[in-house]
Amino acid sequence: MTNLRNDFSKVIHQIGLKDPNLVVLVGDISHYRLQGFAKDCPGRYYNIGICEPTIVNMAAGLSKVGFYPVVHTIAPFIVERSFEQIKIDFCYQKLGGNIITVGSAFDYAYLGCTHHCYNDFALLSTLPNIELVYPASYEEFDLLFQQTYNNKFLTYFRASMYGHELSFKSDDIKIGKAVQVQEGKDLTLVAVGTQLQSAKKASDALKAQGINVDLIYIHTVKPLDSQMIKKSIEKTKKCLVVEEHGIYGGVYDAVLRLSLGIDGLRCFSISIPNDFIRDYGTYQDFCKKLGLCEEGILKKIKEEVLA
Amino acid sequence: MDLREEDILGNNIINKDLRKRIIEIVYNAQEGHITSSFSIIDILAYLYENILKFDNKKPLWEDRDYFILSKGHGCVALYVILQKYGFITEDDLRQISSKNGILGGHPDITKVPGVEASTGSLGHGIGTALGVALGLRIRSRDNKVIALIGDGESNEGTVWECALVGANLNLGNLCCIVDNNGSAAQVLPVPDMQKKWDAFGWETYVINGHSQDDIQNVFGKIKFEHNTKPKVIIANTLKGKGVSFMEGHGSWHARIPSADEFKDALKELADD
Repeated sequence: MTNLRNDFSKVIHQIGLKDPNLVVLVGDISHYRLQGFAKDCPGRYYNIGICEPTIVNMAAGLSKVGFYPVVHTIAPFIVERSFEQIKIDFCYQKLGGNIITVGSAFDYAYLGCTHHCYNDFALLSTLPNIELVYPASYEEFDLLFQQTYNNKFLTYFRASMYGHELSFKSDDIKIGKAVQVQEGKDLTLVAVGTQLQSAKKASDALKAQGINVDLIYIHTVKPLDSQMIKKSIEKTKKCLVVEEHGIYGGVYDAVLRLSLGIDGLRCFSISIPNDFIRDYGTYQDFCKKLGLCEEGILKKIKEEVLA
Repeated sequence: MDLREEDILGNNIINKDLRKRIIEIVYNAQEGHITSSFSIIDILAYLYENILKFDNKKPLWEDRDYFILSKGHGCVALYVILQKYGFITEDDLRQISSKNGILGGHPDITKVPGVEASTGSLGHGIGTALGVALGLRIRSRDNKVIALIGDGESNEGTVWECALVGANLNLGNLCCIVDNNGSAAQVLPVPDMQKKWDAFGWETYVINGHSQDDIQNVFGKIKFEHNTKPKVIIANTLKGKGVSFMEGHGSWHARIPSADEFKDALKELADD
């Protein structure tokens, strides 16, 4: 089972062995998982403490002197607490770097709202000079990190604790490019990150019933592969976006903007309502409740998209 | 080092020419913070003349020392220094805050050669300085890193996060200067500034930030050495120091002088 919470450190370790400019700063999380990097890359690993704005700020300073910093901690504390540091110290100053978060959306379902982060893409996509990446397999994280870690942008990696469990050819995973998983003419299904797994199962079930889905997988939220999505929705005129993200400012909003001027298009989403999820339980419990699962997708398609 | 109020309030004004430049620029632009620039200008003048290593033709020279103005609203002081040392031109100064200019009310690293950080929102520059200092230590380089913050800026929580982290990492190649001009006292005082930094584990000094001798003495003592305590200089200063009717607190924080006030200020700053 994919769990980038555990596995992202292997990628960091491998690249750190090759590139002396990779430096890792964490906010008292994943400390033991990163000991391989710390041991083999002496002087380039720091558990700074529980002070996220300062960690982001320091990372910008490291970038100024030529390092490729990696900041790692829990999503809400980086994205929401340190938003101004991300905005000014990296984006405004045009400095490159990397943020790898865990606990986005409701991956930490059982920890309650303070540890949820439904709107990371919405907030961060308002900033220039930033890339937003949502890899949902070890291979994708590996490929996308290698493609971006030393570029001139701040790259935000939403490292999921759950994966889609599908694999693609290495050449198909490129920053800013969507993946055409399945071709069809009856509706467009846009699956973001981990939700590809449910979307693929739903597409297969529909195929057995004679409904052909154009299934598009998004691992890069910014820059979004608008071309592939637009081409598909112009063809099918029906679209469902499935994403573990708030209803505002995610991929669904981007698709709505793309859809302007396409006559007769009907566009729907399964996403997180604009409310705090005050329940406890497991990630799977939350997915089921919100319809972010095979059954939920099939229901939405039959009752609304194809109705 | 004890410091009496009359030392800061004394009439021994240094760097009159730079003060005149600051007033002229702000008056012409009708924008800028004169008094916040006056409280730091003597320190900046000394740093660029005597302490910092730089090459105005190669602002990103890797052997340079780093000066980060964390209290970005004092940037007119930095601009006149950058012009004096050839990073920017007289024409740049004339075009401050204009649509064709590169200089604004806060410094922009992407536009102004010699500016090390885009500051303005307070509590950021010192964290950037921590990262630079750490990066230089990783590379075993001996460049100095100096950040200048305000005492008002010290209301920001990130300043104290940085105080904790800088000491914990033993970033001895970093020196933070606190422009202790009393701004914080107007709203949210930061009492016992030296004791606070001392308690956070920094090597502390207190000086009169308008005294050439004090500034010189303190930089004679400080050693920028890796893996030692980071240093902090509490520079007691006066907002508006050098023009009597602007000194202290009140309306002059962001006020632009009238034509008569402009003339009066220049008269006060005229050579004896």
